[in-house]
Amino acid sequence: MQIDYAAVAPELVLTGALCIVLVVDLVLPDNRKGLIMPVSLLGVAGTLLALLALAGDPTRTTLGGMFVVDSFAVTLKILFCVAALLTLAMSYDYLRKEGIHQGEFYFLLLCSLLGMLTIASSRDLLPIFVSLELVSVPAFVLAGLQKIDVKSNEAALKFFLFSILSTAVMLFGMSLIYGITGTTNLAEIAVRLAATPVLRSIAVLSVFFVVVGFGFKISAFPFQWWVPDTYEGSPVPVAAFLSVASKTAGFVGLLQIMFIAFHGLADVWRPFIAAVAILTMTFGNLVALTQRHIVRLLAYSSIGQAGYILLPLAVVNVNGGSVNHEAFAASIAYLLIYAFMEMGAFSVAVAYGREGGYFIDDYAGLGYRAPGLAVVMTVFLFSLAGIPPLAGWAAKLFIFRAVIDGHEYWLAVAMAVNTVIALFYYAKVVRRMFFEPAGDGPLGVKVPLLLQATIAVSTVMVLLVGILPDLAAHLARMSTLV
Amino acid sequence: MDFLAHWGLTLSVFLPIVGAALIAFTPKEQEKTIKFLSLAFTFLPLVVGVLLLRVYHIGMTGMQLETNRSWIPSIGARYHVGIDGISLPLLELTLLVTFLCAIYSLKWLPEPHNPKGFLALMLLLETGMAGTFIALDLVLFFIFWELVLVPMYFMIGLWGGPRREYAAIKFFLYTLFGSVFMLLGFLALYFRASPHTFDVLQLQRIGPSLPSGIQNLIFLGMGIGFAIKVPMWPFHTWLPDAHTEAPTVGSVLLAAILLKMGTYGFLRISIPIMPHAARTYAPLIGALAVIAIVYAALNCLAQTDLKRLIAFSSVGHMGFVMLGIATLTQIGVNAAVFGMVAHGVITGMLFFIAGSIHERYHTREIPQLGGMALRLPILGGLLAFTAIASLGLPGLAGFWGEVLALLSSYNPLSALSSHTFRVYMVAGGIGTVLTAGYLLWMIQRVNLGKVPAQWEGKKLVDVQPLEMVAWAPLLLLTLGLGLFPRLIFDVTTHSVIGLTKLLGG
Amino acid sequence: MPVAWVLILSSFLFSVGIYGVLARRNAVLVLMSIELMLNAANINFVVFNLLLHSISYIGQVFALFIITIAAAELGVGLAIVILIFRNRSTVSIDEVSLMKW
Repeated sequence: MQIDYAAVAPELVLTGALCIVLVVDLVLPDNRKGLIMPVSLLGVAGTLLALLALAGDPTRTTLGGMFVVDSFAVTLKILFCVAALLTLAMSYDYLRKEGIHQGEFYFLLLCSLLGMLTIASSRDLLPIFVSLELVSVPAFVLAGLQKIDVKSNEAALKFFLFSILSTAVMLFGMSLIYGITGTTNLAEIAVRLAATPVLRSIAVLSVFFVVVGFGFKISAFPFQWWVPDTYEGSPVPVAAFLSVASKTAGFVGLLQIMFIAFHGLADVWRPFIAAVAILTMTFGNLVALTQRHIVRLLAYSSIGQAGYILLPLAVVNVNGGSVNHEAFAASIAYLLIYAFMEMGAFSVAVAYGREGGYFIDDYAGLGYRAPGLAVVMTVFLFSLAGIPPLAGWAAKLFIFRAVIDGHEYWLAVAMAVNTVIALFYYAKVVRRMFFEPAGDGPLGVKVPLLLQATIAVSTVMVLLVGILPDLAAHLARMSTLV
Repeated sequence: MDFLAHWGLTLSVFLPIVGAALIAFTPKEQEKTIKFLSLAFTFLPLVVGVLLLRVYHIGMTGMQLETNRSWIPSIGARYHVGIDGISLPLLELTLLVTFLCAIYSLKWLPEPHNPKGFLALMLLLETGMAGTFIALDLVLFFIFWELVLVPMYFMIGLWGGPRREYAAIKFFLYTLFGSVFMLLGFLALYFRASPHTFDVLQLQRIGPSLPSGIQNLIFLGMGIGFAIKVPMWPFHTWLPDAHTEAPTVGSVLLAAILLKMGTYGFLRISIPIMPHAARTYAPLIGALAVIAIVYAALNCLAQTDLKRLIAFSSVGHMGFVMLGIATLTQIGVNAAVFGMVAHGVITGMLFFIAGSIHERYHTREIPQLGGMALRLPILGGLLAFTAIASLGLPGLAGFWGEVLALLSSYNPLSALSSHTFRVYMVAGGIGTVLTAGYLLWMIQRVNLGKVPAQWEGKKLVDVQPLEMVAWAPLLLLTLGLGLFPRLIFDVTTHSVIGLTKLLGG
Repeated sequence: MPVAWVLILSSFLFSVGIYGVLARRNAVLVLMSIELMLNAANINFVVFNLLLHSISYIGQVFALFIITIAAAELGVGLAIVILIFRNRSTVSIDEVSLMKW
C-alpha cells in the first residue's frame, strides 16, 4: 500500500518531536527540566508549519481511505495546534510553581495532541476509536499529575472511569454497525445503511450507543458528571486543555460520524439530539449559577457551551442540502471561537490562581487591585455570554442562524432563554470584580510573560473575530464535510 | 464635502470609540488629559454632525449619506449606514447630549472618583447609541444596540446609588432578554425574505409581501426587544430602578437617548417591514401606551424620590410617543418623532437638575426639600421651567408631541378602529391632566413652602457657570422647539410620509 | 452458526458489564466489568468478520486494536487506582468523592 507521506507529514513531525521530548527529558538534570518546554513548543510549531504547507491543497486520501486530509482536517488540526501552544505557554510557570514533573507533562500533552490531529483526518471507525483513545489516555495521567493531591487523584479516577465506560459503550455500537454494514468506512456505512432498510432498528440502536459514547467526551447531559470534578481537581492548564482541545476532538469525531455515516437516519436521532442539547445547556447554565469555585464555574459554563455546539445537529436533514452545510459550519465556527474565549478565561484563572485566587469570592475587588487582568477576564466572560461585539456573539449568531434555517424555532427560543440565564453567572463574576471594594487580596497580580502572551493572543482573537466574524465563518464554511 | 457625504456618519459614530481607546491608554493620574480627551472626542463628532446638516437635503424622501460596504459576506451582513428625517434628529440629539454630559463631567463626577473608567465608558456608550440610529443592516443594528448594554451596566453598577447592583443587573438581564428575541426575529426575517438579506431597505420592499401569520410572529419577537427598551408597560419595571440608581450623566443619557432606541426600532424596522403585523398589533400597542400614561402618572403621585418621579414620568411620556406610533398616521408618527426629541431634551434636563439638587442637598427626597426657590432661585427657576415644559405647556417643546399624539388618535389609520383609538385619546387626555397635576405638585413641594430646618444656615451654592454652559443648549432647545416646531417637522415630514405610504395610509 | 446466538452472548456479556459498573463500588471490580463490555464488542467484531466472509479482515484487526488499547488503558487505570489507594487507603468509588456539584 502506497502511503502519501505529505499527507501525514504533520503527524510525523509531531511524533518526532515527541520522541525528542522523551529523550531530552531523560538526559536533562532535574534543575534544567524547564528546557523541555521550548523543545515542545518548537515541535508543535513545526507541526503547525507542516500543516500550513498542506493548507489549500486538494484533498489527499491515504492509508486505504482511512486517513483523509481535506480543509476540514487542516482547519481543525491548526486549531488543535494553536490550543496546544496556548496550553504550553500557560503551563510553564504553573508547573514550576506547583512542582509538577515537566518532562512527563509536555510528553503527555503532545501525545494527546497527536490523537487530536489524527482524529480530524479519520474517516473510518477504527482510526476514530484509536485517535480518541490517544487523546484520552494521556489526559487521564495529566489530570492526575499532582500525585500527592487527593483531589487530583479523584479527578483522574472519575475521568478515567467515565471515559473508558463510554468507550466500551461506543465500541459495542461500532461493532453492531460493522455487523450490519460489513464495513467501518464512514462513507461506505452511509451507502450500505441506505441499501439495507431491514436492519434499521439495530442500526438506530447502534447509533444511540455511539452517541452515548461521544456524549461523555463532549460532556453532554446526562453524561457530564465527571466534568466539574475533573476540571477542579486537575492542574488548571490541563482543565483548559480538556475543556478546549479534548472536547473539540470529541465534537470532531461526532460531527464526522453523524454527518457522514448516519445522516440517513437523522429523522430518528434528530429529536434525541435536540433534547440532549437543550438539557445540556440548561443543566450547565443552571448549575453554574450556584458555583463558588472559578474553575467549576468555567466547567459548568463549558457544559452549557457544549449544548450550544450540539444544537445544529438537531436540524440535520436526511436529504442533505444547504441546511446540513450551514449546521455543520455553525458548529465548526463555534468551536473555533470557543477555543479562544475559553483559553483566555482559563489563563486568567491560572494567572490569578498563582496569587491564591481560586474562588469567586477571591475575585472581589480585583478590578481595583489588578485592573488589566479584571478587564480581560470581563472580555472573556462577556464573550462567553455572547455580548457583542465580542467573538462569542458571532458564534451564537451562527448557531441561531443554522437552527432557524432548519425551521426549529423552539430550539432557538430555548437557546435564547439559556443565553439570558448564562449572562447572570458571568455577570456575577464581573460584578464581584468591579462592584465590590478592593478588599485585602494581593495588590497587583504579577503575570509571567508567557501567560501574558496567552492572554494577549486570546484577547486579540476575541476582539478581532467579534468585529470581523467572517474570519471564523468563512473558515468554517470552507471546512465542512457536507 | 464628498468625503463627508460618504464617511461623515461613520466618522461621527466611531470617533468616540477612538477617544475611549485613547483614554484607556492614558495613565489614571492624568485626569486633565482624560477630561480633555473626553471633551474633544465628544465635540468632534458633534462638529461632524453639524457639518452633516450641510450635505443633508432636507426636502428629500429616503436615505441619504449612505455607506454600504461588504462586512460579513458569509452570512450576508453588510456595513450599511445612512440617515433620513427620522434618524437625523435623534443622531444630532445623541451627539449633542453626550457632549453636554462631557462638559458637565469636567467638574461633577460621581463617586467613586474614577474619571478614566467613567469617561471611557461614556464614549463607548455614545458609539453604541449613535450607531443604532444610523445602522441600516439588522446585524449591524444589533451590534450597536448591544454595545450600549455593557457601558450602561458598569455606569449604574459602579457609580450608582445604594441599590446599584440590583438595578444594574436588572437593566442588563431585561434588555438582554429582549434583545435575544429581537435577534431571533431578525434571523427569522432573514430566512423568510427572498433573496435572504439583512438589509433594512431591501427588507422594506420584500417584507410587506410576507404571509401575515409569519409577520405577526416576527413582529412579536422583535416587539419584545423594542418594548423592553422603550419601555412599554408592563416591561417598564427596570427603568425606575435604573434611573434612580444611575449617576447623573447615566440617567441623562438613559432618558435622553437610550429609551429612544426602542421607539426608533419600531419606526425603522418593525413597522415598515411588517406593515400588516403593525396594523394587527396597533390597537394593542395603543392600549399599552395609554395604560403606561395613566399608570405612570398615578405612580408619580406616590413618589417621594425626585429621580424616581422623573423616571416614572418618562414611562408616561414614552407612552405618548408609542400612542402616536400606534395610530400609524402621518401626524401620529411625526408627533412621535417630535416627542422623542422633546422628551430627550426636557427629561435630560430634568435629570441634570435632579443631579445638581442631589449634589447640594445630598438627598432627593421631596419632603426634605422645599423652599428651593428662596435659597437657590436660579436652580428653582430652571426646575420650574423644565417641569412645566415636561407637562406640555404650549410654547414649550413638550407640547407638540403630546397634543399631536392625542390629536392623531382621534383619526387613526383607516384600517384601525377609530372608536378604540378615541377611547385611548380620552384616557390619554386624562393622563395629561394627571401629569400636569403631579409635576405642579412636585414644583410646589420642592420650590415653594418653608425651607426645612435642617438647611437653615447651611451654605447652598446656586447654579454655577459650568452647569449653565452644559444646560443652556437644552434650555434653548426646549424653548426653540416649542416656538418653532418646524425645526423638527420640516426634517421628519418627508420621511414620515414615505413610511406611512408603506402602511397604506 | 446462527448470528442470533452470537448476539445473545455478546449482549449478555455487555449487560453483565453494565450491571457490574452500576452495582459495584470497588474500583477494581468496576474496571473488570468494563473489561467485560469491551470483550462483548470484541466478540461481535470477530464473529461478524467471520460471518461476512470479508476479505479485509477489518473486524479482526479492530478486535486486536481494542485488546491492545484496553490493555494500555487498564494499565493507566490501575496506576490511578493504586495512587488513590496509597493516598486514601481505599478503592471504594463512594468514598472517593471529595468534590460534589
